[in-house]
Amino acid sequence: MKRIGAFLKSFFLVDMVRGLAVTLRHYFSRKVTVPYPEKVQEPAPRFRGLPRLHRDETGEPLCIACKLCQKSCGTNCFDIEGRKAEGAKLMRPVKFDWKLERCSFCGFCVEVCPTSAIRFSPEFRLTGVRREGLLFHLDDMYLQGEALQEHLCGGCRRQG
Amino acid sequence: MTPFVADVLIPVGKIVAVILYPMVMVVVMIWLERRVVALMQGRLGPNRVGFQGVLQPVADAVKLFFKEDIIQRQADRLLFNISPLLVMASSLLAFCFVPLGEPIRIGTYTLTLWIAESPVGLLIVLGLSSISVFGVIFGGWASNSKYPLMGALRSVVQVLSYEIPTGLTVLTVAFLARSMDLVEIVRRQESSGVWYGFLMPVSFIVFWISAVAETNRAPFDLPEAESELVAGYHTEYSGMKFAYFYMAEYAHMVLVSSLVVILFFGGWLPPFPGVRALDFLDVVPGFVWYLVKIMFFLYLYVWMRATFPRYRFDSLIRLVWKWLIPLAFVNFLVVALVRYLR
Amino acid sequence: MAFNEIELNMGPQHPSTHGVLRLKLAVDNEVVVRVEPVLGYLHRGMEKLWESLTYVQVVPLTDRLDYLASLSNNLAYVLTVEKLAGIEVPRRARYIRIVLAELQRLASHLAWAGFMANDIGAMSVLLYGFEAREEILDLFEAYCGARLTVHGIRIGGVVQDLDAALVSRIRTVLSRIPKRLADIRALLDENRIWKERTVGIGPITAADAIDLGLTGPALRASGVAWDMRKDVPYSSYDEIDFEVPLGRNGDCYDRYLVRLEEICQSIRIVGQALDGLPEGEHMAKVPRALRIPPAEAYHAIEAPKGVLGFTIRSNGTDKPERVKMRSPSFVNLQSLEHMCVGCLFPDVVGILGSLDIVLGEIDK
Repeated sequence: MKRIGAFLKSFFLVDMVRGLAVTLRHYFSRKVTVPYPEKVQEPAPRFRGLPRLHRDETGEPLCIACKLCQKSCGTNCFDIEGRKAEGAKLMRPVKFDWKLERCSFCGFCVEVCPTSAIRFSPEFRLTGVRREGLLFHLDDMYLQGEALQEHLCGGCRRQG
Repeated sequence: MTPFVADVLIPVGKIVAVILYPMVMVVVMIWLERRVVALMQGRLGPNRVGFQGVLQPVADAVKLFFKEDIIQRQADRLLFNISPLLVMASSLLAFCFVPLGEPIRIGTYTLTLWIAESPVGLLIVLGLSSISVFGVIFGGWASNSKYPLMGALRSVVQVLSYEIPTGLTVLTVAFLARSMDLVEIVRRQESSGVWYGFLMPVSFIVFWISAVAETNRAPFDLPEAESELVAGYHTEYSGMKFAYFYMAEYAHMVLVSSLVVILFFGGWLPPFPGVRALDFLDVVPGFVWYLVKIMFFLYLYVWMRATFPRYRFDSLIRLVWKWLIPLAFVNFLVVALVRYLR
Repeated sequence: MAFNEIELNMGPQHPSTHGVLRLKLAVDNEVVVRVEPVLGYLHRGMEKLWESLTYVQVVPLTDRLDYLASLSNNLAYVLTVEKLAGIEVPRRARYIRIVLAELQRLASHLAWAGFMANDIGAMSVLLYGFEAREEILDLFEAYCGARLTVHGIRIGGVVQDLDAALVSRIRTVLSRIPKRLADIRALLDENRIWKERTVGIGPITAADAIDLGLTGPALRASGVAWDMRKDVPYSSYDEIDFEVPLGRNGDCYDRYLVRLEEICQSIRIVGQALDGLPEGEHMAKVPRALRIPPAEAYHAIEAPKGVLGFTIRSNGTDKPERVKMRSPSFVNLQSLEHMCVGCLFPDVVGILGSLDIVLGEIDK
């Protein structure tokens, strides 16, 4: 009896029709594609985008050039030099070279920073057109948004 | 209607139409395939070039047009150049015999919607569409490379094997219609009131499966599948010649869909032609019904491609020789018996 | 090379070799006679590189081994370091590790299903599998910020705690997966073409599988009931109730069915782990500079692809002396020849797909 059933199912192409029904249902379903670049999906709050330096409310840089990030980085992205100005309480960085091309976005620098100076940002558009665009000096480390894109691919023939 | 118009302009116009019609359908198919497959897979497909991507085929054509035309040093030039033309020509020639509707009366002149009508039109169409086999073999051999040759041989074996159930099933239709003239077949379906696809569903299914296999489409597209080792007879072709093979495949699909519609689904007839109450449907010209039905089958082609895995070559051949041909034979005998008993 | 054999090359650039794998095939009239994989196209010198990094700095690099299941690599390495250093992981962290590892197994198997089906021709399954996988990757992004190279399991615990919002989000995602799985099953399970391409293709007996060192779902499809989570439990897996699906014939179809069933079991495991999530810390107190006295340890886990093990030898400093990785795909690739001999060469692609290899962990 079961064999006759199996034969009939095979003869009437039941398995094929089931497959066709699945694709037809998907044909009419709502598509989850986000039309980039017209619409850009916001990354999650904890997203590990480009690491950026930050300033506090008064505009003073938070970085105290303790070089803990340099020590913890597994891929040698950092090259930091600090100096304590006369009469100042804290060290400040005078040189802060950071290489994007070496970063593995592991997050050790962010985790280890005692002042939360370096933090991940939601920047995920990280293409550059020149080597120099991937090297960030002290002032470049604060760039975000359009200014960051300008640094990364400034001078590019096709903007955006 | 001067003799010049009737004897020269109108035939030339029909020839242009016969070349344009499959070409336009090919352009539509390129877009349809990419869009429909994409939507079935949960993505959007081409939607940048033109509204909803309708200019994508134009973009593809322009791109292929500008590609470099590469021919290997040892390739057989004549055969290499001829094979795309052969494959394309076989489909286009067959379209000469495919009717698109009942003759239209314009004043005193009857405009026939076909280039030629023959009492054995069915046979001629099938024969002409088989010429593509030559193009495939020439292309594979002339490429002077073992993978295209193997792909071409496989493709030829596949097409030739699947010709047999095709022939047997169209014979059943010819039996019922008592004629091999394509126009007669449609007229018989009108007078009998039921389309042959519903009278003989087995014939239709066997014909459809064989047709899909003959056009080298999924799930029978191993000879030209991208993810397999052997990349098919058109590997070594680039630029416009490749575009020709590509378009010829779609033109063949349109031809086969037209055949299916004419033989099994009443051609240009509206649904339920015998029922008087639905005569209001006659307002829509036959050509539109024809197009709607052809579009359904083209859509079915794409639907099948998006759904099914690929048959391996030996399973493919085993399928036709062990299952489809005996089934087609049995079906033929049953139809013959039923006709004899009537 | 016998007279009638053709040598074919499935080169490093090929749409179906799951990475840069080169297969030298010797084919006799369509029947495969010999298969020789040529490896090394993705070799990055990981094991040597790790000798110059501290134990903590190695963890993000282990993500890049099996890049489709990065948390499993993290887990295997981290467990070995903890065994070496004698670090005790809090119970809550162990449960969160179970959740993360099983979610990663789900993601890996969904990607595998897509790739195997795509190689055999059913293109839509690739997209359906990836659509389901996207939701899991979004979960990882919400959890610790990265989708692919997750780096979420650290030495001593996990990087973040699971709060209630995340737990409910995980449950929502899990509830949607069975429906997508049903779609894939409806398209493939009973499909005659799929069965024609996978039933009886590439069989391997249980004895041969054990001899060749095959592990993971491929081994279980041959009927051998070996799963590290059950037989050598780690990270509190012994407190979770689940089944290990077994196959019978060891062909491609059984390997396919076993992995689909593992997806269902993974959903069950995550549900149980979330239900029974104990209170506590998500990270043990690990010294900032981890120095481990000279010792050697080996620990293996059940990664989605098979048994993934690390041997680490320490020398008293904060950098390991030597790290050796036993990657499942590398050992599983050995059995490719055994499975392929005697089949037709379109089947090589199907068998390779059913083995589920990733070149990242083969070449390291």
